[in-house]
Amino acid sequence: MTLEGSPASSHVVDTPALTLENVSAGIGPLTILHDLSMVVPARKIVVVLGANGAGKTTLLRTIAGLLPPRSGSICLFGEPIHGRPAHLVTRAGIGHVPSGRELFPRLSVADHLELAGKVASPSRRTEIREQLLEMFPVLAERLRQPVGTMSGGQQQMVAIARALMTDPRVLLLDEPSTGLAPKVVLAVFETLPVLRAQGVSVVVAEQSLTLGLSHADEAFVLDHGRVVLSGAASELAQDHRVIDTYLGR
Amino acid sequence: MLAVQLLINGILLGGTYVLIAQSLNLIFGVMRVVNLAHGSFIVMAGLFTFWLSARTGLSPLIVLPIVFVVSFVVGALLQPVLIEPLMNQGRRAELLSLMVTFGLDYVLVQIALHVWGADYVSLPYLQSTWTFGAITLSKALVVVGLFAVGIVALLYFGLNYTSFGKALLAASQSPVGAACCGINVRRVRLFAFALGIALASSAGTLLIMILPMAAESADNLTILAFVIVALGGLGEYAGVTIAAFLLGLAQSLAGYFLGGDAANVLPFVILIAVMLLWPQGLRRAA
Repeated sequence: MTLEGSPASSHVVDTPALTLENVSAGIGPLTILHDLSMVVPARKIVVVLGANGAGKTTLLRTIAGLLPPRSGSICLFGEPIHGRPAHLVTRAGIGHVPSGRELFPRLSVADHLELAGKVASPSRRTEIREQLLEMFPVLAERLRQPVGTMSGGQQQMVAIARALMTDPRVLLLDEPSTGLAPKVVLAVFETLPVLRAQGVSVVVAEQSLTLGLSHADEAFVLDHGRVVLSGAASELAQDHRVIDTYLGR
Repeated sequence: MLAVQLLINGILLGGTYVLIAQSLNLIFGVMRVVNLAHGSFIVMAGLFTFWLSARTGLSPLIVLPIVFVVSFVVGALLQPVLIEPLMNQGRRAELLSLMVTFGLDYVLVQIALHVWGADYVSLPYLQSTWTFGAITLSKALVVVGLFAVGIVALLYFGLNYTSFGKALLAASQSPVGAACCGINVRRVRLFAFALGIALASSAGTLLIMILPMAAESADNLTILAFVIVALGGLGEYAGVTIAAFLLGLAQSLAGYFLGGDAANVLPFVILIAVMLLWPQGLRRAA
């Protein structure tokens, strides 16, 4: 959440937020991402579309450092981050809302914000915290509540708030719509332009075509761990090949 | 009055059980490793305390911080070699960790046998009693129980009210989530293992004052700790504390009314009963 005109954002106007070159990754004997390349421009909302098993979650986990790539390179604003352990990728400026949310069920909302806030500079910490509690007023009312006792929608807000507390330059969101009521899903997606306006680049993995394409600037369509289509979200929305890929035609 | 005395004895005994069990629980919580060498660390520390006190005349309460620091360092040296390599083994980690800690247990017991022999020893310290009206309390049991509860209280406050403690709880509830907060989960695991070993060893230094111990006691102590943790629920700090106090009380009562053998068998009887009635653990059943 770098603010407009602050020193950290002045040199990044043209450098892409994320550059992936020929990235391969997998689990055990299984290769899931094959020679995948993509560029995420700074201050854009990028959606990664794909059917179940296309490799969306693996892609985000690889960028976040939870899964070391077998080959290829990943750069954050030109700085290589592949091969770094996940906590250092977080500290380098990547906020991750992982699939399954990965919250700490017995810890309170305040604890989540406090733990993640350690990554941000002390002066930013208070500022971000106030912004987040304004953005998600429900959390302000439930600061002391253990998150395991909260609803799915509230937990999703905690997961997003936790990722934003690290003051990221890039936010990765893994299927934020999973298990949420349509109204809550819209609320989550409506926060994305706010983040973009504050200088954060957003990468959303999403299964729903209409939802993904209507809220993003650019889109990548993944199939079997490869990028099969990419372009402006508004153009891809008109492209029948997107639906063909989904249906396996 | 007898009831009050048995109650106090049970609570004091339970206090030492909390320390024995929470140290096992801490390591399990963060690493999902059941440390089968748990009892051998307790026994090593107990026998070392006996040896050092007998040689130098030092009070075991002064040996306590020495044991804590030394065993913390030993734990910190062992974890990267024995435990950390298992952490990226996925589902195999559980079985592998049982084999590794069983091997460690075997080595430690053999070292203890070699260095201190196979005899049961106990440290004569504070052998007298305090009498309040009709209540008679063993000084050693009171001191040991209070020290154990004090250490556990420090652990509780450390975990819940310091940022490193919260990072440790976070890493045990979701390692992936912790990494997303910029927490170095590897370092947390190292610290948790070292602390678990240091707490178990502190329990050994305290126990030798109230319980005769030999190298072969190691496995019984591991089982005792495991029974309490199984009763309270693996990874459940509050549940394990309750279970430890209940077991202390039950053993105090059984020891008086049914004799020492009954008190020794009791943990297993309770474990079987609870597994039949509330297989999900006492706390989740409540």
